[in-house]
This record gives sequence, structure tokens and C-alpha cells, in this order.
Amino acid sequence: MKDCIFFSSVSCPGLPVAPQRRLSRRMFLKDSAATVVAIGAAALPPACAAIEKPVAGASSSPLRKGRVIDCHAHLSHRSRTTWEADDRKLIEAADKLGIDQLCCSILTPQRPATADGFRECNRWTSDGMRRFPGRVLGYCYVNPGYGREALDEVRRCIGDRGFIGIKLYNEYTCTEPVVFPIVELAIELGVPILQHASHSHYFVEDQPRMSDGGHIAELARRYPEAMLICAHISGGGDWEWTIKALHHAQNILLDTSGSVTDEGTVEMAAAVVGVDRVVFGCDSSMTAGVGKIRGANLSAQDKEKILSGNMMRLLRRRKS
Amino acid sequence: MIVDVNAYLGHFAFRRLRYNTAVSLLALMDSKRIDKAVVSSASAITYRNAQAGNEEVAEEVRGHSDRLIPFAVINPFYAGWQDDLKICHEEFGMAGLRLYPKWHNYQLSSTCCRELVNAATERGMVISIPIRVEDNRQRSWLLNVPDVPLEEIIELVKAHPKARFILLNGIGYTGCLLGRKDNVLPSNYAIELSRLSAVLANELGQLITNLGAERVMFGTGMPFNYPDPALVKLEVLDASEPDKEKIRSQNAMTWLRL
Repeated sequence: MKDCIFFSSVSCPGLPVAPQRRLSRRMFLKDSAATVVAIGAAALPPACAAIEKPVAGASSSPLRKGRVIDCHAHLSHRSRTTWEADDRKLIEAADKLGIDQLCCSILTPQRPATADGFRECNRWTSDGMRRFPGRVLGYCYVNPGYGREALDEVRRCIGDRGFIGIKLYNEYTCTEPVVFPIVELAIELGVPILQHASHSHYFVEDQPRMSDGGHIAELARRYPEAMLICAHISGGGDWEWTIKALHHAQNILLDTSGSVTDEGTVEMAAAVVGVDRVVFGCDSSMTAGVGKIRGANLSAQDKEKILSGNMMRLLRRRKS
Repeated sequence: MIVDVNAYLGHFAFRRLRYNTAVSLLALMDSKRIDKAVVSSASAITYRNAQAGNEEVAEEVRGHSDRLIPFAVINPFYAGWQDDLKICHEEFGMAGLRLYPKWHNYQLSSTCCRELVNAATERGMVISIPIRVEDNRQRSWLLNVPDVPLEEIIELVKAHPKARFILLNGIGYTGCLLGRKDNVLPSNYAIELSRLSAVLANELGQLITNLGAERVMFGTGMPFNYPDPALVKLEVLDASEPDKEKIRSQNAMTWLRL
């Protein structure tokens, strides 16, 4: 009965309905087994039934096993009058969907970001980490074009404020030399870089320096020690192209976030680059993000890796 | 009971689809506890002669009419569409249409399209319109098919108050007349939820408030899409159980006379 009320995708006639359903980690995993059985693929081990849901924010450790970590999230920029309510809604949505931690950045509304602009964003991210302790993890957003100021900001955020990584957007294509000092600093600190990316078969005029999977793979070859995350493979570009472009770049992880819910995306990513290189994300498309993982025809163990294991492995490589 | 008003069979020209046969789609539906699905031909989106896709779907759903409800894809600018409509309705038992004005390169306001809508309405057929087939940012280098502008939908529903429309794969309704309360439009359209947000902006909740739960229908877009995101929306939706039941199945069953 518990499974039916709290974890099933449908209501059960005759049973009471919870007024506020909170989805759980088991919810992410349960239907995968059902799908596999229904279509006659290999049977899953019963591990999914044994996975218990931690209470959100209850652990003192920011990286507890069994958590669900959204590797790509954003807090609201405070130029929005509704920023505080919007941030609360994000946490409430995470609560509903069984997401324990959100790796967040704040981007400037106008880009390229100025140094003052990205520093302000990072102060607000840091404040968000304090307002939602244990729930919000911070990415330090910088524009690499600011050279020393960007590097100082990364050191301040990672070293003093407890941020977990660096967020790079579209100010520069990630293969431009101006980006390299940021990558080298990330290697020194042992933190990942979440790189905004998309690949369309046309020139994206409003993002002329957009990186794609090919660029990130090139950067990964130059810096094999770097930990790179290719953002939102479901973010609108040709995800099949992106997955194939990243095939041989072992130090790149693929973030599943984005609004596109094309069937087969997560399975192809896991098959081509290996399930150890796929990480769960939403990028504000919350039900899409959760639904893709739940719907993916992968084993419970593989989903565990995507939901948190792979990200935790990455974050544990921090050097200080 | 769950009824999906937004499902497909067949091949799509630009991406491999799995679960695109009747047998495999039904297996997927079983695994998600989806009881019935309205299906049309994915191939007919790019076939020049869409009727060939309708014939494939008719063949595919044979023996599964208790669960798969076929809709016809008709291009009102293609020769013989009147014959195709008659065959789809009378011989294939297709209860409705799916229209692709942008993929088939015609205007919803054109005379031919209006004739088709009128003919389908006279037959009691429901007319569904996918606002998009896939995200335009991942389009092939061969073509650039825009989403159907909601403004064109507004004009269509106004021009055909007796017709019944289901709008698929859309968002942004609350930003225009279609999703506003007391919008003076005829109540002749329902909105399918597969792309609507159910948290954060929560357009789904807003539509229920503005239009009523009677005007919202469950749909997934499978096998183009994973069915699970739509199911998750229903699970987290802050609505009464009777309203959820309307969305899950009752509205579709009423409209489709199931």
C-alpha cells in the first residue's frame, strides 16, 4: 500500500490519496524495473526495493550516499522582484520530486557578464547556500575574459565559501585560450567545471561563442586531468550528435538536464559514453528531468550512479 | 484509468523511435499503466501522401481497438483528401485528425483547411493539432519547421465554434487568450499537458484554475517522448482527485465517446 500511495505513477482505486505526494528515490527507480519486465529485457536485481529515502537536508554530510543530486540548477537573479519566492519554489519543487541537493549557479541576465556582475551573482549563490543549508551547493560563475579577477573569484568561492565547482557560460567558446587558466585552476583545486553547451545544425546568432560537445572534447584532450561536465544534453540541440562527440573523452560527464524529453536519450548516453559518465540534472525543467531518469530503461544500479553516485565521485576529488 | 491523447506509431524521418509498433507501444503502456492511447502516424508527418501513413496505422492497430484509438493525418492541400477522410473515418474507424500545418506547409486559415475542419466536424471527429513535433533547436539541416503560433490557433477556434480541438505539445497558453480566464473564446478546445510545467511556473495549475480541469487532458507524446515526465506532472500536481481523474481519463473519454 505504501508503494501504491507514495511511489506509484497512478492512483489505486479504493485507497486513500495523499494530499501532497512527495516522490522519492524509489520512485525514480521503481518503474524502470516494470518497463524492463514488460518489454522482456534482462531482469533487474531487487536492489531498488532496498534503497531508502533520506530526509532532505537531515544529514550533516553534504555528500551522503543515497541522495539525489541535481547537478544543474539555478537560483533566481535578484533583479527579479520575485527572486525570494522563486528560490523557495525551487526548493519546494525539489521536495516534491525527491531531489535532495541542487548544484546551483546564478547567471547575469545580460551577457557577457562583468566582473562586478558575476561577483554579485556568486554572493547571492553563497547566500542561497546559507538560506538552504545542505540543499543548495554552489557553482562559481565567472567570465574568463576578466583574467585575474575571474581567477580570484574562483579561489574565493571555492576556498572561502565552500562552492563545489565552476560554471562557465557562453562568453567564450571553451577552446579559446582565455579559458585555459580557469581550467588549470579547476584542476589545481580539484573541482568540476559545468560548461554550458549545445549543438544545433545552424548558427545560433544570439550565442556566437556557444560551446558544443566537440569543443568540450577538445578541451578534455588538452586537459585530461580536468573534470568537465557537458551541460544539458536535453537542452535543445542535437543530443545524438553531442553524445557521439563525447564518446572518447573520458574526463567529461554528460548532464541529462533540459526541457527535451526525447525517449532513449538517457539510454543512448549510458550506452555510448558509459553509465559512469552520466549525471542527473534538471536545469529548471524539473518534471522533465525526473521523468527522463524514471523512464530510462536502465538498471536500478545504473540509475543510482546517474542520480548521485557519479556526481559524488566527482565532488570527492576536491583537493582542499 | 489513464488515457493518453498524444501517442504515435510508425517511423519519424529524423530520429529512430522505439516502441513505435502496436505491440511494443502496448508493452510500454502496460509498464506505465496507461490504458488507452490515441495514436496517429509519425511517418505521415513527412510522407508526401499522408494517407499511406494512415493505412499503416490502420493495419497496425487492427486487433487492438480496445486500447489504441487511431487518428488520421490529413493534408488538406493534397489531392484526394476528401476521399482519404472518408476512408479513414468510415473504413478505418478513425475518431479524429491530427493536423500539421507547418510541416505540410499550409495555413490554418486557408480555405482548404477550413473545409477539412468543417468536414471532420460534420463527421463528429476531434481535431488535434501538435504545436510542435520536436524541439526546433535539434532540427535537421534539411529543414526549419516552426511551431504553430498560438495566435493562429486562436483564430481557428474562433472560426469553428462547433469543432472540437485538442492542442498537443504546446506551452505558453497562459500568455495568450487560450489560457486566460473568461477569454471569450468558445470552449471548443482542450489542452494536453505533456509540455506544461507542473512545478515552478506551474502552467498546468494555472490552466486548471483559469479554464477548469475539464479543459485539460493527459498526454505523453510517446514514443517520441518518455511517458514518465507527463505521469510525474500528474503525481505532483496540486489538484483535487476528481480534477485529476478528469485530466487522467474522463475528459478524453467524453470527447472521444469511449
